[in-house]
Amino acid sequence: MKEGLVLILFLIFTTSICDTINQLILKSAINSLEASLSFNLIKILRFILKLASLPRVWIGFLFSVLSLCIWLFVLSKVDLNFAFSVDSMHYVFIALTSQLILKEKVCWRRWLGTLLIVVGIVIVSLN
Amino acid sequence: MFKKQLTIKIILFLVLTDILETFTHLCFKKSALAGSGLNVLNPAGIFEFIVLVFSSPFVWLGLLTVLSVFIIWSSILSKIDLSVAVPIASFSYILVPLTSVVYLHEKISMLRWLGIFFILIGVIFVSLSSTEKESPLR
Repeated sequence: MKEGLVLILFLIFTTSICDTINQLILKSAINSLEASLSFNLIKILRFILKLASLPRVWIGFLFSVLSLCIWLFVLSKVDLNFAFSVDSMHYVFIALTSQLILKEKVCWRRWLGTLLIVVGIVIVSLN
Repeated sequence: MFKKQLTIKIILFLVLTDILETFTHLCFKKSALAGSGLNVLNPAGIFEFIVLVFSSPFVWLGLLTVLSVFIIWSSILSKIDLSVAVPIASFSYILVPLTSVVYLHEKISMLRWLGIFFILIGVIFVSLSSTEKESPLR
């Protein structure tokens, strides 16, 4: 049972890493397009098409497919509320990588928040 | 001052993504249950699992909502920082456990609610910090 938990936690860790990679690729691709915000559907679709023409967006897509398959396996073994709560570890990876790779500012409050998330994950995993 | 300011419109779209995301996870859980009895410790088992799960209509319904979330999300990310957008979309950390109790009849102990509470507070802290003065953008 303990070993099962470790495996599930490891798999959720893997999906979180895949999701983080996908988000970083998406964000950097969007940054490179210099888009202006619009909620006009035609403009959004045109923007998506422009995004889809970038090869790295497809690499990100592959990561999300991989993440989905692992995620579905995790969900077949454990409760949704457990898996979903533990999956919040991707906040930690996103905070780390936003600062390191995207050079966004991450202030101390945000680090405190990520610390609380980690504590929450540990508590959720306890039972 | 902020180039990447949060407007009511953006917050509404973020809430919409929360609701859609919760629906997505319910669908994925429903489809995953189809393959829950399989032993997937060998490649053939993994293949069988994927075939079984992807023949469930729920997984495609879930993917359809993922696509709509992706479209909304892409336009949101062009306006605000990833580290700001992600936390506000985190309302689903309460919505998903609630719906899994109501629709999936999962049991959540007090200890686990405490953990979920910690995660939520953490997420709120992460999003509060976006009102701090950020580096001037460009």
